[in-house]
Amino acid sequence: MGPQLSWYLALSAILFTIGVVGVIIRRNVIAMFMCVELMLNAVNLTFVAFSSFFQDVTGQLFVFIVMTVAAAEAAVGLGIIIAIFRNRESLDVDEASILKL
Amino acid sequence: MLSSLLFILFAGAAIGCAIAMVAQRNPLYSAISLIGVLMSLACLYVMLAAPFIAAVQVIVYAGAIMVLVVFVIMLLNVEDEEPRRNRLAFLVPTAIGLAAILIAETAFILYSVQASPYTPRDNVSNVGLTASVGTGLFTEYLLPFEVTSILLLMAIVGAMSLARRSDIISPTTRVVPGSQVLTMHVIDPSSHDDTTAIETDTTTEARFLMGVNTPRDPGEQG
Repeated sequence: MGPQLSWYLALSAILFTIGVVGVIIRRNVIAMFMCVELMLNAVNLTFVAFSSFFQDVTGQLFVFIVMTVAAAEAAVGLGIIIAIFRNRESLDVDEASILKL
Repeated sequence: MLSSLLFILFAGAAIGCAIAMVAQRNPLYSAISLIGVLMSLACLYVMLAAPFIAAVQVIVYAGAIMVLVVFVIMLLNVEDEEPRRNRLAFLVPTAIGLAAILIAETAFILYSVQASPYTPRDNVSNVGLTASVGTGLFTEYLLPFEVTSILLLMAIVGAMSLARRSDIISPTTRVVPGSQVLTMHVIDPSSHDDTTAIETDTTTEARFLMGVNTPRDPGEQG
């Protein structure tokens, strides 16, 4: 008896929870960004687990698309982070609580 | 039984690296811990008979995206996070409460999935191989694929317009062919430290500021 589907779902939920906690308690914007990446990966694990256990390739296709979205998010998000740092000389999100520059 | 042991090994590595990622104060250590999580997940994808997704995970996620993140961390040269002020201290109990809710949902999923009828099929299949992923991607799901490519194009344009230095060339700046942006030490060699940009509209103006005589008629340039 190998790993069951529920094992993978539990691992995915735990990783997602850790990502949520990280986004809430961390103040560094890069660390929050990486926690969002962790949440995306947790959802990817769910997709691949369902795809493998139900023998349907659709889940893996959407994992592929989620990875592309994550890459686009990384490019734009890091551009925003660089712009924030250039304006405020800080990566603390509390410093950037006002939209006005 | 061996696969169960491997699952426990990789899941433990993923959870441990994820907790280390959240607990670290230095963003660079967080990034390295996140790479550990991604590699553990790639191993789990191999166990789930999805070798293509595992390879893409290693190449794109742990390779390209994390290199970008580490590059930005190095570029910005950030310090360790200073000890938090108590201005937003109420967020910690909020995070604990949300985590408790999510863990409760996990327990519910575990209960309901195990209670649901499920018949495992035979293990011989080509789901997860590169050929089946490519066939599905280019036949049934061609429209999402094309939309994704447009998204990537928009991300390229957006990242470029965001990361551009706007203090030298702003949207209202009149850009003249042959115009130059000089720094102070070019104009005045005694001021080495002043790197403030001085904008000139025409080459003639730049030559005038630098004290270079223009051999030709100034009116014909620029």
